[in-house]
Amino acid sequence: MRGHGAWLWLPPLAVVAAYAPAQAVVYLTVEQAQKEMFGDEALTPLPLVLSAAQIAAIERDSGVKVASPIVRVWKAPSGYFFADAVIGKHDLIEYAVGLDANGRVRGVEILEYREAYGGEVRNAAWRAQFDGKRHGDALRLGEDIQGISGATLSCQHLTDGIRRLLATYAVAIAPR
Amino acid sequence: MTHRLASFALVFSALVGCAARADETAPPAASAEARAQSLERKIETLSRELDALKNELKQVENQNEALAAQQQQQAVLAQQQSAVQNGGGPWDRLSLWGYGEVNYYHPQHRPEDTQADLARAVFGIGYRFGERTVFNSEYEVEHAVSSADDPGEFEVEQFWVDHRFADWGAVKAGLFLMPFGLLNEHHEPTNYYGVQRNFVETLIIPSTWREGGVGLHGDTVSGFGWDLGLTTGFDLSKYELNPETPLYGRASELKEASPLQATHQELALANAQHLAQYLALNYHGLPGFLFGAAVFTGNAGRVDRSAHLPDSRLTLWEAHARWRPGRADFAAVFARGTLGDTAATNALNPGASNPLPGSFFGYYVQGAYDVWRRDQTRLAPFLRWERYNVGASYAGLAAGFAAVPAGFPQPYDRVWTYGMNFYLNPHVVFKADYQSFQNNADFTRFDLGVGLNF
Repeated sequence: MRGHGAWLWLPPLAVVAAYAPAQAVVYLTVEQAQKEMFGDEALTPLPLVLSAAQIAAIERDSGVKVASPIVRVWKAPSGYFFADAVIGKHDLIEYAVGLDANGRVRGVEILEYREAYGGEVRNAAWRAQFDGKRHGDALRLGEDIQGISGATLSCQHLTDGIRRLLATYAVAIAPR
Repeated sequence: MTHRLASFALVFSALVGCAARADETAPPAASAEARAQSLERKIETLSRELDALKNELKQVENQNEALAAQQQQQAVLAQQQSAVQNGGGPWDRLSLWGYGEVNYYHPQHRPEDTQADLARAVFGIGYRFGERTVFNSEYEVEHAVSSADDPGEFEVEQFWVDHRFADWGAVKAGLFLMPFGLLNEHHEPTNYYGVQRNFVETLIIPSTWREGGVGLHGDTVSGFGWDLGLTTGFDLSKYELNPETPLYGRASELKEASPLQATHQELALANAQHLAQYLALNYHGLPGFLFGAAVFTGNAGRVDRSAHLPDSRLTLWEAHARWRPGRADFAAVFARGTLGDTAATNALNPGASNPLPGSFFGYYVQGAYDVWRRDQTRLAPFLRWERYNVGASYAGLAAGFAAVPAGFPQPYDRVWTYGMNFYLNPHVVFKADYQSFQNNADFTRFDLGVGLNF
């Protein structure tokens, strides 16, 4: 690595980088995540637009603001599947949560991640901390959910998002 | 539903068939009439049920149509929403953030050196060019005022573009933070205990350490993070071999003791003749744990470019660990650097008050515990022990000369820090600590600080 010749590595690297497609990196599509959590079960979309009263109840219950009244949720014979998004530091993290018929978390999957930092939340062991959790469990980062150093904001916001979805389930889906 | 209709049709046709056969063969008139009447009643009942079923079917069909419409509407809304979130206009693509701290330092044995300082005020600007490409930058004012007559500095701390080319990796280019230790990349005041950053990650890892260049980085699902690249490095020609007065005289100036703080280039017309390389690996596959290590090596040139001296190679490596079980937070960092071929330089400058060290190192262990929490407010006392030596070895010192002249502070120490961080919320922290220096006892001090980050 003597002299300035090493800088000549840069142009080919730039070409390789530019060759990538322009869409966001999709780690899993919604369909793939559904298959991962529910196998070959048939999932049917469950149309759900939250009322103002339901939003207020969810916010009170979870302590997390509800950004949109639309809930993307599917019903499977053995549970429910949610697709949702939270802000990491500046950009959206798309993720999915599967619940079993009793409302316990069956799995959490990261679908799309856009930021330069904090991608550590894709780690399987981190996500597995949510398995078996249900509405009413504390689900606080640094208490029952351990964070990842260097990805604190992503961990925080995903934990908040999952707590909000569990509250959504309890308020708007379980009583049906 | 279809199943129910089909069985109904079967029963109905059977009944009609029975009725037809009954007509053909029925001799006794009275009983035949009674049977016919009963059959008629049955048919009537069945036809009523059939009508009811038809209505039910129609209702279900209507419901299905309504559901489909609702779903379609939902899809459109979701699409609109994601279009808004992904940003059409420049304001949606822009992100702004900031952090800073105001500190108070009170040396216990030299109260006349007490200082208050707006240590840093930083604003960050990010811009998303597309789904895969993002720009990050940070601008910092240190010590409040930057002018020819003031101690402050204005500096660009980061200025880089990151492009994710695959799900397994991204490439970054520009001026970026080096992935070393626990706080260089995450250096906001809310991220560390104590008013000032620890000495290991100030003197040995020269945070906030950044270099210009390119890097590749990524994370695996199993919990491995990796980062490697080619960057600019250090420049020994910035090293001051023979200052007439000590470079530092109190704890808050200790940064000046660091050979790497003295020779980092910060991409300010940086000498880029020689490239440096770095590699950093982290494992975070066990929730609550982080283990990592990094190494950097590069030609750092020589103290005097016109002199016939060998170039020195600078190599810095570190290892770090952090464990956060519940309310506790344990951390440890070890860092060591070496500078090669320093003997000729030191021999040429006998009696220099600040000779080139051949090696330097530092390590710390730290524990903190949230003794009190309510919602987002928490109080975390902490304890840290650290040891540093920015002049661990020297080569080529002329006989009879000490590495450090009499009256100058020692370049090594053992420091206990006791203190607490009080987080009003995750973004605002009030800090207090007491630092006790074993060798440079004059540096022992009490500090207060407020930091924020958004």
